[in-house]
Amino acid sequence: MAETATGHPRTAREAAEAQAYGLTSGDLRAWASFAPIEIYWALKHHLTPAAARRWAREGLRVGDTVRAIALEMTPGQVRLWADAGFAPCDAVEAKEMGVPIETALAWRAAGFIVPDAALLIHDGWTLEEAVHARYAGIAEEDR
Amino acid sequence: MLSKERNRLLCETGPATPMGELLRRYWHPVAGAAEFSRQTVKAVRVLGEDLALYRDKSGNYGLVDRHCPHRRADMTYGFVEDRGLRCNYHGWLWDHTGRCLHQPFEETRHPAGGFKDKVRIKAYQVQEKAGLVWVYLGPRPAPLLPDWDRFYSRGFKQIAISEVPCNWFQCQENSIDPVHFEWLHDNWSRVLRGEDGTRGPAHQRLGFDEFDYGFVYRRIREDTTENDELWATGRVCLWPNCLYVGHFEWRVPIDDEHTLSVGWFTDELPGDKPFEQDVIPCWHAPIRDERTGRWIDSHVMNQDYIAWVGQGVIADRTKEHLGESDRGVILLRKRLLEDMAAVAAGHDPKGVIRDPGANHSVHLPIMGGLNRPAPKDGPRPFPFLAGQPEQVRQEFEQAWRNCAAVSEELTAGG
Repeated sequence: MAETATGHPRTAREAAEAQAYGLTSGDLRAWASFAPIEIYWALKHHLTPAAARRWAREGLRVGDTVRAIALEMTPGQVRLWADAGFAPCDAVEAKEMGVPIETALAWRAAGFIVPDAALLIHDGWTLEEAVHARYAGIAEEDR
Repeated sequence: MLSKERNRLLCETGPATPMGELLRRYWHPVAGAAEFSRQTVKAVRVLGEDLALYRDKSGNYGLVDRHCPHRRADMTYGFVEDRGLRCNYHGWLWDHTGRCLHQPFEETRHPAGGFKDKVRIKAYQVQEKAGLVWVYLGPRPAPLLPDWDRFYSRGFKQIAISEVPCNWFQCQENSIDPVHFEWLHDNWSRVLRGEDGTRGPAHQRLGFDEFDYGFVYRRIREDTTENDELWATGRVCLWPNCLYVGHFEWRVPIDDEHTLSVGWFTDELPGDKPFEQDVIPCWHAPIRDERTGRWIDSHVMNQDYIAWVGQGVIADRTKEHLGESDRGVILLRKRLLEDMAAVAAGHDPKGVIRDPGANHSVHLPIMGGLNRPAPKDGPRPFPFLAGQPEQVRQEFEQAWRNCAAVSEELTAGG
């Protein structure tokens, strides 16, 4: 799942959408390339256009950027996960749920995407238990 | 995959359950206002509670316990008065706040006894909006009933209600599952039409954005780009139990094994002159084909129902295997689990509106905008649910003809 800032031109419909969120033409100029709902969410969480663009270069949409900043993450941390083949938003999810990249790699190798693995780990599951549960009812030789 | 305990947390909605407590922080639509032109009292089961919904002779709605506190008689056989609902067994009269207003024989025998002031019936708040009757089963003060902007856009509105025999949560997971559209609706419909071998455009990317009232989900298919509204605007998983895609689909738990699917639809009409609808029709959509005994598969929401009931009465999430297409589903679960914790800590969950100043025509993202043009080729058949009554279809087509005629007159008149 790639997550980049929306890079499309303003349209009349988008302008109407922006108006519905109470955005000004100045907001739209300052936030060119971001969708109105992202701009609204960014302003609500005091995110600047420069910061949003910086994180967008790492592949994070505004919603995840807000979470990343709240978690005191750096763009470099997101890049580390992206370089390992994870979706950029996985870095934020993992940080929020306390899952280190080595653990995420092991769970991914067993077929668990990060948000699924993170919830299971949070609930106290081990990878072995999760794999065992996954194959419940499947004969050993068919696994 | 979820543990059995987590699954139960997400699915159980009865009183004193964590999800039940969470859902009791929101207003839920349970009936069409039009239904009360045909009847005055209706039995409803909401969040596992059996209740009697009524409109008294003053036009006020009430929602009270299904059973009279006197001797447990069925209040849905009671009769409405100018104020309140009177039990048909011994005539005790209850108002919408749960106060007893009259106990005929008790008051005859003990005029000053005041027994009526010492008993109460369980009562909940009710409001009517957008042709729907909404109920609130939570602690007071109740939040505001959301005043969505779509309620006011021009068009022919109708409400369709179905009872789906499965847990509410698997229905709501469908509200943030973009890829299912490609298979359950697009590709399967092709197969059902005998077009097997052709496939609709495949999904390439998904995106999810949180906002005040839920999540927007976005998609890029092989036939679309970031410029397409499927990505630029997206669709809404509306908190906590609704899908909004220009129409609304609420998934209201009847109990843990049944869900009331409440659809609210607007069909755009020609021209731009004001269109007023005295009554928003409400109809009950069948889900089973009586000839075959199979679920109806011809319409979009019927296809969703087939997927939901197919997952089992309560989906066993200990046996699922989630992949990339399920990121939204996981997001939904995680956020609801957080909301349950917030409620347990005494906080409001996501999407609750308490500021009256913020509750006027509240905007929700909508592809195509609020006032979309009517189709140029005339009124189209209702695509979402099978069983639309002929009368509703005719009302819609009449509304269309009236609006088209006005529009043509204006054009001809220059």
